[in-house]
Amino acid sequence: MTIIEFMLAPLMACLLLILINVYFGIHVLKREIIFIDIALAQIAAFGSTIAVVIHHMFHESHGHEHSEDSILAYFLALSFIILSALVFSFLKNRKISIPLEAIIGISYAVATTAAVIILDKAAGGDVHIHDMLVGSILWVTWGQVIKLFVVVFIVGFIHFIFRKKFIKLSDNYQNKDSKMKNSFFWDFLFYLTFGIVIIEAVNISGILTVFAFLILPASFSAMFSKNWVQRIIIGFVLGAVVSAFGLYFSWNMDVPVAPLIILTLGAFLLMGAIYKRLINLIKS
Amino acid sequence: MIDNLIFLGPALAACIILAGILSYFGNHILTRGIIFIDIAIAQIAALGTMIGILLGFAEESAAVQVIAYIFTILIISFFVMMRSRKTDISQEAIIGIIYCVALGLALLLAEKIPGGSNYITKTITGNILWVTWGQVLITFIIVFIVGIIHYFYAKKFIEISEAIRDKKPMESFKFPELIFFITFGFVIVKAVFIQGIFLVFILLIAPAAIARLFTQNWHKRFVWSWIFGILGSVTGIYISYEYNVSNGPAIVCLLGFFVFIAAFIRIFQKMRDKKIISQMVSNVKKMEK
Repeated sequence: MTIIEFMLAPLMACLLLILINVYFGIHVLKREIIFIDIALAQIAAFGSTIAVVIHHMFHESHGHEHSEDSILAYFLALSFIILSALVFSFLKNRKISIPLEAIIGISYAVATTAAVIILDKAAGGDVHIHDMLVGSILWVTWGQVIKLFVVVFIVGFIHFIFRKKFIKLSDNYQNKDSKMKNSFFWDFLFYLTFGIVIIEAVNISGILTVFAFLILPASFSAMFSKNWVQRIIIGFVLGAVVSAFGLYFSWNMDVPVAPLIILTLGAFLLMGAIYKRLINLIKS
Repeated sequence: MIDNLIFLGPALAACIILAGILSYFGNHILTRGIIFIDIAIAQIAALGTMIGILLGFAEESAAVQVIAYIFTILIISFFVMMRSRKTDISQEAIIGIIYCVALGLALLLAEKIPGGSNYITKTITGNILWVTWGQVLITFIIVFIVGIIHYFYAKKFIEISEAIRDKKPMESFKFPELIFFITFGFVIVKAVFIQGIFLVFILLIAPAAIARLFTQNWHKRFVWSWIFGILGSVTGIYISYEYNVSNGPAIVCLLGFFVFIAAFIRIFQKMRDKKIISQMVSNVKKMEK
């Protein structure tokens, strides 16, 4: 019984994260700028990192409350996300001679190392860096799960209403000739809603897990279907099974849960690819 | 002052040598548009080093480096192979997945090595300050040999990179392409060991990006990227020493900010040029009337 009680909150958090991330993941794969997500996640984490350090500076005596929940951390992360959403959508529409990927990659590198510089100043920096990467999903509270649910619900609702706009935007993302009305606004709204989800997700499960949830299940589903609804279902089922498995084994074998989930998802993707190839070989 | 210079000497020398070769490679990488492959390769090299340590070899031993080289060459040949195939999932996604899984594996292994999370931090920040003159010499020799090879193949490599940028089919390039990636792999393994993943990545991309913004000519791009790479490294080390922050991250942030500033300067320049041109056009039209 204890394991179910203990694992219920992390499992619910995983399921919510997978549901929204598979949806966003399909968008992201269509846009073919995968690393923008890890960059945004890292930028959000950088915002919360600053808050952690500020918190340490002012409350050195009583340091054990979770500073991630503070309003300051959220505000900082959100303003960084909005700023970078603006910069990315602005630079995308300009003609400069270097690819957008270079800018994204540089933002990722700068955000990561800047977080490291700042964490160096706080106590226990190494542990924080580890946390920033893979989070601590086992210690998620019901309060956080409810907050996540509310965020996922609102963002999901917005995306459901405007689904045609967003899907059209992503389908034609690399196609420079197609001029969509107000594409800057929709692009910005996309990154903003995405960023709001990312902030919650990164706080709970760390950058790397979020990145894995985004691209691995969505890639898996890409091999088996082209339809949006089917892809979301396939990705969600895979993600749900793997997280349940990961949580169970991390409990049983005492290994960290996030890397276990990531590696299992990777293994499933590899098996899927091999299976697909075999089927193709048999057909031909 | 002299004491400081003696203390920082090997670090400065290593950074200048590596900035030179990495910003050179960066011009090719940027032209080919394979930006994230580098961060994936660097991560794999770090993973190889980590597995070597886990197998019980000493951190600086030849065995660890050999393992890192094997991993790197495997992953590079995978990328080269993959490029010629059509897949359901875009290549960018595959690169992302490889990076993600490699980092996940590194984190899992970190739990098994004593002081593992310290090691993860080290792959992010590097450890330039602990470089010895011996390591600088080895690095210099590797870079020198790679440089000579690239000097002889310079025209061929530029031709290939431009062919890849223009998405031309290429059959006859197989052998130089192999040499390009093998030399690249050697440099990356050595550089990641000293500088960490992010510094290597930024030294590849940032100086080349700044140069690319302002000129198209290959020779000028090489020269400018060298200038920016070396200038950024030296200034970064100086700042990190003066203000007591870790030096790898300091260089990364400095060069990263340079790129953003350069990009915005370039955009405003272009906007201004456009305005001037449109004004001239309207003036001419007025005159015609």
